[in-house]
Amino acid sequence: MSTDVATDQVLLIARDVFSSMIDGEEGHLNAWDGPTPDVEAPVHAWVDLFGELSGRAVLTTATVTAHDLARALLGLGEDEEVSHDDLVDAFGELANVVGGNIKALMPDAAKLGLPAVADTVPVLEGALRVQELALSWRGRAIVVELWVLLPGAGG
Amino acid sequence: MIRVLVVDDSRVMRQIVIRTLRQAGYDWDVREASDGAEALAAVRADEPDVVLSDWNMPNVSGIELLENLRAEGFETPFGFVTSEGSPEMRATADAAGALFLIAKPFTADAFREVIEPVLA
Repeated sequence: MSTDVATDQVLLIARDVFSSMIDGEEGHLNAWDGPTPDVEAPVHAWVDLFGELSGRAVLTTATVTAHDLARALLGLGEDEEVSHDDLVDAFGELANVVGGNIKALMPDAAKLGLPAVADTVPVLEGALRVQELALSWRGRAIVVELWVLLPGAGG
Repeated sequence: MIRVLVVDDSRVMRQIVIRTLRQAGYDWDVREASDGAEALAAVRADEPDVVLSDWNMPNVSGIELLENLRAEGFETPFGFVTSEGSPEMRATADAAGALFLIAKPFTADAFREVIEPVLA
């Protein structure tokens, strides 16, 4: 079974997603320069992967950044309010698209769950973090993590 | 005017699909459904010219929607717009009778590439 999803593959996926869905052009999402930063007032969006290989793809960013991402996805102006429902929908869909593309690199992950968004991520018992990629979107941190359940682990 | 039914549990994604259709030059009459069950009811009530559907949805998924439509005799042209574009899913979609599968993220060009041959 393959859990071998390389950092540069995740970066390529994230860049593709952001240039198509968020920015409308390339160049605004890059690898974070330096160690993974602490994200203040974070919000998380994740999708679970099920199959012979199970796990979770998680996106984490500051709540204020998630609001800006939702505005970009919805085509709203920078002063327009984003409702909680739209924030959950937009940030969750971002995780869904990133997770779906990561899943395509993992042939043993048979099924993608539905996206979830919350201030904290529930523990995935028995899972190991196999990937952590800090990104800079217009200077703001977004962290992508990939967790996989070890064979025989609970969860 | 071509009438399209856009099916996705994400309102945001439905909006993006509709926006991308317009960017691709398709000024179509658009209806929306938020899952496969709602879409099935919408097709039964008033069959559109084409269905663009997400795959992974609560209640009735996109592939179940397509299978149900075909089982009920609807030959509505059907395409997937989904975050999973693996060869296995493309083969499953094809076997079920889908005309195309657009993987998210997508561009207006990607829409034109698969929709133009269907319109021809």
